[in-house]
Formats: sequence, C-alpha cells, structure tokens
Amino acid sequence: MRAQDLVEQVPTVTRETTGAEAARVIAEYRLSGLVVADDAGVPIAVIPGSQLFGLVLPRWVRDDRKLVHAYDEKGADDLCRRLNESTIGDLLDDEKLTASKPPAVLPEDTLLEIASAMDDAHSPVILVKEEDGTYRGVLTMSRVLAAIATAAGQDSDLVRRRLERDIILRGTPHESGPTREAP
Amino acid sequence: MTLSAVAAVVVFAAAYVLIASEKVNRTAVALGGAAAMVVIGVVRGGDVFFSEETGIDWNVIFLLLGMMIIVGVLRQTGIFEFVAIWAAQKARARPFRMMALLIVITAVASALLDNVTTVLLVAPVTLLLCERLALAPVPFLLAEAMASNIGGAATLIGDPPNIIIASRAGLTFNDFLVNLAPVVVVLIAVFVGLAWLLWGRRLRYDPERAEAVMALTPRETITDQRLLRRMLVVLGLVLLGFLTHNLTHLEPSLVALLGAGAAVVLSRLPSDDYLEDVEWETLLFFAGLFVMVGALVNAGVISELAKTLTSTIGDHYLPAAQGVLVGSAVLSGVVDNIPYVATMAPLVHDLVGPGGGLPPAQQSLWWALALGADLGGNATAIGASANVVITGIAKRNDHPISFWTFTKYGLVVTAVTIGICVPYVWLRYFVWG
Repeated sequence: MRAQDLVEQVPTVTRETTGAEAARVIAEYRLSGLVVADDAGVPIAVIPGSQLFGLVLPRWVRDDRKLVHAYDEKGADDLCRRLNESTIGDLLDDEKLTASKPPAVLPEDTLLEIASAMDDAHSPVILVKEEDGTYRGVLTMSRVLAAIATAAGQDSDLVRRRLERDIILRGTPHESGPTREAP
Repeated sequence: MTLSAVAAVVVFAAAYVLIASEKVNRTAVALGGAAAMVVIGVVRGGDVFFSEETGIDWNVIFLLLGMMIIVGVLRQTGIFEFVAIWAAQKARARPFRMMALLIVITAVASALLDNVTTVLLVAPVTLLLCERLALAPVPFLLAEAMASNIGGAATLIGDPPNIIIASRAGLTFNDFLVNLAPVVVVLIAVFVGLAWLLWGRRLRYDPERAEAVMALTPRETITDQRLLRRMLVVLGLVLLGFLTHNLTHLEPSLVALLGAGAAVVLSRLPSDDYLEDVEWETLLFFAGLFVMVGALVNAGVISELAKTLTSTIGDHYLPAAQGVLVGSAVLSGVVDNIPYVATMAPLVHDLVGPGGGLPPAQQSLWWALALGADLGGNATAIGASANVVITGIAKRNDHPISFWTFTKYGLVVTAVTIGICVPYVWLRYFVWG
C-alpha cells in the first residue's frame, strides 16, 4: 500500500483561526491534528491536536504543572476562554513550528516510509505532496495504523468483535447489562 | 613573572572577557580555558583531580550536586506553590502585602536552597497570582530575584559564592549563620521598605480581582502528602547535619550527598524526575573554573598579587575590608559573581589565611567578600544567575524585563544594601571585634 491509497482531504485552518475555532474543527472532524495553510491555501505547518492545549494553558502553568490544581472550577473555565483570544498564529510563533518544514511524504511512498516520517516528526498528521510541492492531502495516524494492521494480517472485523467482547466482560453489569451481548 | 605565568594570565583574562561578554557558552569557555592551562603546562593532571589547593574543589561540586538532587525531589511535593498561594491569601490578596510576603518567602527559601531553584519555583506562582489580580508581574519578579540574592547571602548553601568561600576558607555553616544571617535579616527588612518605594506604592487593590485569588485552592498543589512529610524530615536532617558540623565533622558536601541519597530512596521517584534539576552544565562550569584559578595559583600569579596587596594593606584591615566589600559589589554587577569569587578566594586566602580561627579584623575580609559578591549580584540583570533566570521567565511570559529596567532598580538596591553592610563590617569586626 502507498500514500496515495490512504490520502484524505481535511479542512485547513489559517494563522488567523482562533484557538476555539481550531478546537471545533478537530472535534467535528475527529482529527488528530491540524493543517495550517497560508492565504494561497499552501500548507505551512502541521499541528498535533494536543498542542492546542498550549493555547489554554498559560506558560507559567506549563513551567510548573502543579499550579493547575490551584484553580477552582470557575478559574479553570476562565482560562479556557483564552481559546477565543488566541490564534493559531500565536501557537505557531510560540512553538516555532513554522521554522521547520511541515512533515510530508510523496504519493508513491510505502507504509514503511510513511511510518518513518510520522515517527520522526512526532506528528499524527502528515502531508502528501508531489515532487514539485503540489499538495495532495494528508495522511492521518488512524488511517495509517489501520493500513499497517491490515498489512500485518489483522482482520478488522475479528479484532472489533474481540475488543467489544473485552469491553463487555470488563464493564459493570449495569453498563454492559442485558441489552448487549458478546458476539 | 615567568613565561608560563604570563601565558596563564592571558588565557585567564581571555576566558574572563568571554564569560563576561556572554557571547559564548560560559561552560564551554571555562572548560576550554582549563584545557588551555593544561596544554601550556601550568596545571598537571594529578593536580586537576587530586590537589585540594589548585584542583577541582570536589566539596563545592558535590555540595551543589547533593542540594540539586534534594531540591529536585522536594519540588515534586508542591510545597513551594502551596506556601506562595497560602501567603497571598493571608495577605487578603492586597498587592503590597503579597509582595512583602513573597519577598520574605523567597529570601528564606533562598537561604536554604539555591537562588536559581528558588526563583524557578516562585516565579510561575507569582505570574499566576498577578494574572488573577490583573497586575503587572514585573515588579514582583524583580523583587523576588533581588530577595533571592539577599536571602542567599545568609547561609553557606544559599549562594554559590558562599559555597566557594566556605570551602576555600574552611568556614562552617554556623560561621555563616553567626556572621551573615543577622545583617541579612536587617537587609530584608530594609528591602521590603525599598520595595514599597520602588513599586509597592503604585500597586492598586481591586476587591473583585482579589476574590479570584481567595478562590484558589493551595492545598490541591500538594499531590503527595506522604512524600512531603518524608522530604521535610530529610531537609530538616540535612540542615541539622550542617548545623552540627562541629560535633560530627561531616563536610557539608557529605551531608548534602547523604541527604540526596535519603531523598532518592525515600521518594522512590524515577531518576529522570530528580536528575532533571541537576544543572550538569553549572557543575562543569565550576570544574573548569577551579582548574583555571588553580593554574594561576600554580604559576605564582596569585601569590605575587597577594604579596603586593599585603605590602599595600599592611595592618590596615578596615580599608581593605571596605575595599573588598565595595569592589566586589561593583565587579559582581559586571561579571558573574561565581568566577569572581573563585578568583578572589585564593587571593584572600593568601592575604589573611583560612577564615575559621582568624582575629575578627582579618576574618572581616572573608565576610566582606561574601557580602559584596552576593549583594553586588543585584546590580544588573547579568550580575547573578537568579537575575538571568527571572528575566528569561519574564520574557517567555510576554513581560520582558530589559537590561536597563533591571539595572535601574538593581543599582538602587545594591547601593542601599552595600551602604548598610559598610557600617556593619566596621562595627562588627573593628569596633566590637
């Protein structure tokens, strides 16, 4: 299997997108990361979804994680509102993501090359680009891992059934209850 | 002067200029300078590792290492965050009261731990409090950096220059407590007053904002009560070990290492957690520095300088002590006080000898050196490591403190604190003797 077989189209955000809007995009499309494009639509960065927390957490909390526990519920909610005030541009400048080239693979790259690129970039999303730089779409971690599992001979239906059975066996009687049955 | 002595002075001066310029990493300079001293033949391999006079001062290195590990474990407890927020709530979130309490907490913590760790711990919680109160954090951060330098002067372990002086002069933890702690208490009280004049009178109280501080839950920052109890016991025993040196004859470095071992065993933390706080680069910087200074001693440069100074000073220890006090304050503002004291300590040693049993007038030179170097660090943004750390934190949090902003306040604080130490040294060692 090659990158071109797994490529997906996902919505892109820009530097001006607020943190709250970006969080919505991730939630609505169940993405693990975001592609940031410039005004011409050319991708300039890839942001792992977890880095959006950097817009919610003040720097002093990131310097001293114990401080998060000092906030009460109202204080915590106040801080979450910071997502409306900060933009993806702030995050890019803060984390210096634009300084490095967004991770990318070629359409004809193999699963091993894709896995290597994602592992190297520590990114759950990676761009697919032609040799001339033309943007074709992205590869997401979930889709790449599914392809790897298939290549490893894992039958997806069989695995799903096994997992569901495990969930039911471990769940409380109330949760698993008589409404669900193990296959 | 011999050719090797001239070569040693040239290498040393070049390294000093590079360290002061801050253009090149200071550890690289110190290690490079040490290597150059070995290459030109002023230092022998055996001296580097095994000579107490001219080699690496392992007492200093291992005391620092031990304390860094203890702090690395202690900071996992959340006690510092708890105390700072608790103090802010005790002050009813009134800005100046809060600042005054943070100054006292920083000074006390700095006397027991090292300055850099103290400001690293207190700065984030200060930013949190200021954000809740919608106050500019810069005055608070400046006050804390300066309080850490003043508070650190009180004890042997409070400031790296004191550790070097203690090791070279053979002074004990109790010597520092008896000679420096009383004046530091006065200095902190005066500094609180200065803080009012410099910043406090312009801070505004907002009752609505204060509610946001009162709603904070400081107890929640302590995530492991058992670890906290164990670490307080370890820290208490380490301090007891320092205090009872006359009975146990355990070197401070050994006490710190035993404490570090106990902290590691009792906490059961993964090594990454406590080793993260060990500043390996600083330890290597010290090692390189000791070799360079040892080379000057080997080459006879220090003894030549000491002879010249001895003939100039004669028995006039009062002007000598005042000169060392004020001169050290001025020089420590310009260059990092660690290399300054590392160079001066062997010189003072040659002038008056080891500090323990000296008559008060001669001993005053050691205390003048400690006070001048510690308090002089407040003069500029690069005068002490704590200043560099605090300006870095301020910049990362979008509240940059320019070199001149720091210096503007730092010069006032240094002038006032040194101004108090001048009569203190005179009264304590020459009038009351």
